[in-house]
Amino acid sequence: MFKFADDPLRFSRSSISSRGNKTGSWRYLKPVFVKRTAPCSAACPAGADIPAIAHLTSHGRYKEALDTILRENPFAATCGHVCFHPCEHACNRSQLDDPLAINAIERHVGNWAIREKYQPVEKSPPNGRRVAVIGSGPSGLAAAYFLSRLGYGCDIYESEKEPGGLLRWGIPAYRLPLDVLTFEIDRIRKRGINILCDQKISESFLNTAAKQYQAVFVGCGHGRPVQMQIPGEDLALDGLAFLKDVRKGHPSPLKGVSAVIGGGNSAIDISRSLVRMGSAPIVLYRRRIQDMPAYDPEIKLAQQEGVRIKELTLPLAIERHSDSLLVRLQKMRVDDRKTDHGRSRVTPIVGKQETLQVARVFRAIGAVPEASWQQPGIGSESVLELSHCTFTADGLPIVHGGDLVNQTLSVSDAIASGKQAAMAIDIYFHKGWASIEAELAACRVAQGPALSMETYCDPEKSSRRHPQIVDFKDINTAYFPTSERIALDLDHPVDRRISFSDYRPDTSSGALSQEAARCFNCGMCNACDNCRLFCPETAVCEGEARSIDMDYCKGCGICVEECPRSAMVLEEEGHETGS
Amino acid sequence: MRDNQNISDLIHPGHVACPGCGAAIAMKLALRAMGPKTMVVLPACCWGVIAGPYPQSSLKVPILQTAFATAGAAASGLRAALDMKGDGETVVMAWAGDGGTFDIGLQSLSGAVERNEDILYVCYDNEAYMNTGVQRSSSTPYGTRTTTTPGQGWKRSRKKNIVDIMAAHQIPYAATASIAFPQDMMQKFEKARHLKGGARFLHVYATCPTGWGLSSEKTVAIARLAVQCNVFPLYEVEKGGDWMLNHQGNMRVAPYLKAQGRFGHLTEIDIQHIQEMVDADWIHLMEKVSRR
Amino acid sequence: MRQVLEGSHAVSEAVRLARVQVISAYPITPQTHIVEAISEHCASGKLPAKFLCVESEHSAMAAVIGAASGGVRTFTATSGQGLAYMHELLHWASGARLPIVMAEVNRALAPGWNIWVDQTDSLSQRDTGWIQLYCEDSQEVFDTTLMAYGIAEQVNLPVMVILDAFFLSHTYEPVDIPEQERVDRFLPPIKPKFMLDTNEPYALGQMVAPGEYMEMRHDIQQAMDKVPERLERIEQAFEGAFGRRYGTVEAVSCDDADIVLVVSGTVSSTCRQVLADLRSQGERVGMLKIKMLRPFPADAICHTLGHVEKCAVVDRNCSFGAGGIFAQEVRSALCNLQDRPLVFSYIAGLGGRDITGDTLMDIYGKTRDTDRPPKQSEWIGMTS
Repeated sequence: MFKFADDPLRFSRSSISSRGNKTGSWRYLKPVFVKRTAPCSAACPAGADIPAIAHLTSHGRYKEALDTILRENPFAATCGHVCFHPCEHACNRSQLDDPLAINAIERHVGNWAIREKYQPVEKSPPNGRRVAVIGSGPSGLAAAYFLSRLGYGCDIYESEKEPGGLLRWGIPAYRLPLDVLTFEIDRIRKRGINILCDQKISESFLNTAAKQYQAVFVGCGHGRPVQMQIPGEDLALDGLAFLKDVRKGHPSPLKGVSAVIGGGNSAIDISRSLVRMGSAPIVLYRRRIQDMPAYDPEIKLAQQEGVRIKELTLPLAIERHSDSLLVRLQKMRVDDRKTDHGRSRVTPIVGKQETLQVARVFRAIGAVPEASWQQPGIGSESVLELSHCTFTADGLPIVHGGDLVNQTLSVSDAIASGKQAAMAIDIYFHKGWASIEAELAACRVAQGPALSMETYCDPEKSSRRHPQIVDFKDINTAYFPTSERIALDLDHPVDRRISFSDYRPDTSSGALSQEAARCFNCGMCNACDNCRLFCPETAVCEGEARSIDMDYCKGCGICVEECPRSAMVLEEEGHETGS
Repeated sequence: MRDNQNISDLIHPGHVACPGCGAAIAMKLALRAMGPKTMVVLPACCWGVIAGPYPQSSLKVPILQTAFATAGAAASGLRAALDMKGDGETVVMAWAGDGGTFDIGLQSLSGAVERNEDILYVCYDNEAYMNTGVQRSSSTPYGTRTTTTPGQGWKRSRKKNIVDIMAAHQIPYAATASIAFPQDMMQKFEKARHLKGGARFLHVYATCPTGWGLSSEKTVAIARLAVQCNVFPLYEVEKGGDWMLNHQGNMRVAPYLKAQGRFGHLTEIDIQHIQEMVDADWIHLMEKVSRR
Repeated sequence: MRQVLEGSHAVSEAVRLARVQVISAYPITPQTHIVEAISEHCASGKLPAKFLCVESEHSAMAAVIGAASGGVRTFTATSGQGLAYMHELLHWASGARLPIVMAEVNRALAPGWNIWVDQTDSLSQRDTGWIQLYCEDSQEVFDTTLMAYGIAEQVNLPVMVILDAFFLSHTYEPVDIPEQERVDRFLPPIKPKFMLDTNEPYALGQMVAPGEYMEMRHDIQQAMDKVPERLERIEQAFEGAFGRRYGTVEAVSCDDADIVLVVSGTVSSTCRQVLADLRSQGERVGMLKIKMLRPFPADAICHTLGHVEKCAVVDRNCSFGAGGIFAQEVRSALCNLQDRPLVFSYIAGLGGRDITGDTLMDIYGKTRDTDRPPKQSEWIGMTS
């Protein structure tokens, strides 16, 4: 009935969003995503990116998990079977409830690849140089693997008829099944690496190698057993030779009691093998069980399987006594003084001796290099002693690695050796001798000694380079309710004793993924999104990785505080850490 | 504009909340659960400023700012308008601070819930009049120093139990929630959103680092601690009679109190006294819970 | 159709016919009959609206503010203390530019408790940005309520329809109540200029800095400035539809008057009778009824009173320390005129005390017989 013009209203009604207000200008501290080093990665001699592996496994992304392992270590399933997992001892989770079953995770992923026949091979373009690798044990195979990734052509010379070194000849099948080893050696072969078996190398090889090769890696291990220097020594059988025979398929049932002299892993391997062949082994060790250098869980498994251990017992002599052998033993006692290595000093109890009657005696007190050329020269100006290899650059570069030079004699240290050697050789050719140590240092996982090939190939991907290792106090345990570690069942000792097959049954994928989800993922962003959930400014952005919108971030620090896994730090504005 | 912005959140960045504001986190989480068919009725409080000075708005849902005492009534009126227009989908959510709920807004809140208005009333509680400079409210806990309970005049009266008051009105649903328990909080908002036809009340613990003498990064951590030491228990009440506990805390109050500047003056005896009060309140709550 | 209705029901009938959608009210004598009748309409379905029985007047205004922000036609009613309680929100309603209509029954303010007519309550709110329209009888109440929606929704300012306690609210008179269809033609459904909408979200009622606030206030003033002209056109349409109009002021016999009595509310009826009586006695007297207090119809007042010798403003209110409020407003309007009357200010009838014909006679006599008006308002009809 009445119409008027529409007057525009001028009153308190909004017309724009608050986005024009760049509150980032308020900030004096800013949050930064950093990939910090997890203690497990720092403890792993191969420097594996364990948080990433666990994360991927927990999501069933086995392919990517395996790829992640292979970046730093070609022997996924192998290590999953035999590694003594220093990672688990360093695991932060153990301070909350139980350490993550990292070894089981690696084993499961490695086995999965074998079952699925997943064998990715990326051939790198050749750089025109060739390297001779002596010995196809874990250090040699690893050296060849990493060298080929850097473009080097490799020929591996192996004296035995089959490759593998101690992996094959020293570790019994129930610990490392043959199909596992074969598959993983095949992984290395598929890269175009030649493994030339039944080729024993002598010193003269080194003199002519320069014609074909630009460098040599010597990883032939300890070929000569250590002698006991006691009367009747020749009556004892060599323990390592025994294990080799078992592997070659020559085992016949061995009845009766067998004495095994020694306290290391070989002694235990021999004992547990003897059990499976029908013998009753007694391990004779001159210190206490707790002093045995053998891996404690292995000792326990051996005892469960019926292996007896006589501690504080020193063999004095071996005599033949018709069909059996008599071993004269000296009883020892613990001296209060300690050795350099912290092990107990033992002294004979005067007058206390005994005799043991056995069917056979095995000697397993260690081994040393077979020839002098297998050991690096020392003290020369052209010799560089690194943590896991020794680099001699007197004309043709020769690098000694593996058991020949390592402090810790283990498979994972051998792999570390091969990696370090490969990187050192590559640095030598590209940057020169003087740069080797500095360049290697730039690839350290935390403070080292493990190195990351991923970092060497792509320095921008500075995973695990952060010098600070995530401590348990850096973890926000509010986000981790305690949970039970996966129960890793073993076959019953009664069943284990009768077979050389793997005594560890497969875990279900579900249980394994659940276990992998227990990983804190220390120092690694796993996209849990706590930061994004809590940010009062909605300034945490999704994308390939999480990032902060610096236009709006006020630097309150909640994201850093609530990051469960210490993958973020607060920095002062204007001070870049470059990490 | 970065193309990986959080377009699913209904709150814009660029708002003027203090760094580490618990109330900003509370609103963000609430709106994640509530969705875009929500209208916010906003009386005077910190959020009245955070919502944006003219001509900005920091939310992607409609906002009706109203006078201090009127959240309950204005929300009732808005709800009536939407009903008359046949909009049964949009939820009216009153979003008030502790002052506008426990004190000046109590009349309007009580009236609205007594009428069982079809609204969701949210009190985000930073335990004082923070917007005006940290003066005490009836939500300020026993033992707190504020600008109007300074020095030796620290607050001797106890915090009002607003959920008890709501339960006494026998509304369909009342609950406490905490920004440190975001899944629980968002579930409660979802539940409240769907419980249409009557009054729902949520009491949300919203840390104020500025007013509590706390470093800004501790906002969520202190909220967690409050629940874990039973100072702010998480529970729900349906129809005023059915009490359900969501979380059992098992820590003592001392670390909670010692972490905050606003309690810095308390002696060990004071702290012990507060522990006794918290324990007694817990027993009362458990009596109600066990009546189920 | 003509019905005999009390003033309260003139309001409630207008609210029903205006198809108000949300009502929110708190009871206070003598507004109660208004809200009771509306409640019945809602309960019976005669008026399909939401009625919120709120817990205070402050909440009543808050609720209609909420509802009006949602884009519906709203109504509330109050009186005396209730209006005073709403004060904060009266400012809010106008600042928020909401077309709310409220019936305000003029009642005295406590203490002492007094439920009878007094204009101080509504006049105390004259600064709140509400359009104020005073009514003389039930028909005017009914008509004004309908027109209130017209002007409110036009300029986006709230409107108070004001009626005297008991003398108007509870007095029965014949009122012409038209049918719904005729009212619908005059007053179509509300077309809000803005409302809260999730499809187009924005915030209302925000913080406004010194750099922007003044322009918003100016906008309110400019809206007020448009009211006389637009109300005039609305009244024209109303007259066309229903045959009645009122104007912002009504001048009776002022053209040849020496003295004009300035009145408002029900006193206007009494004054018409007194006017007739005085005229029959040969007095050159006129009457100016002020209907619209806000915006103050200064032009109309100056036009009517400019040539007059004296005017006697009857105030049923008092602004302590200054005197009758209508008188102050009239003086302000006249102060810059070359020719202007002397303004005599009288305060009478506070708290329901009757203003009879004799009272007005007395006022007229005093005005005629006094040369210059005293500075203070003169209080009439005191017992001691």
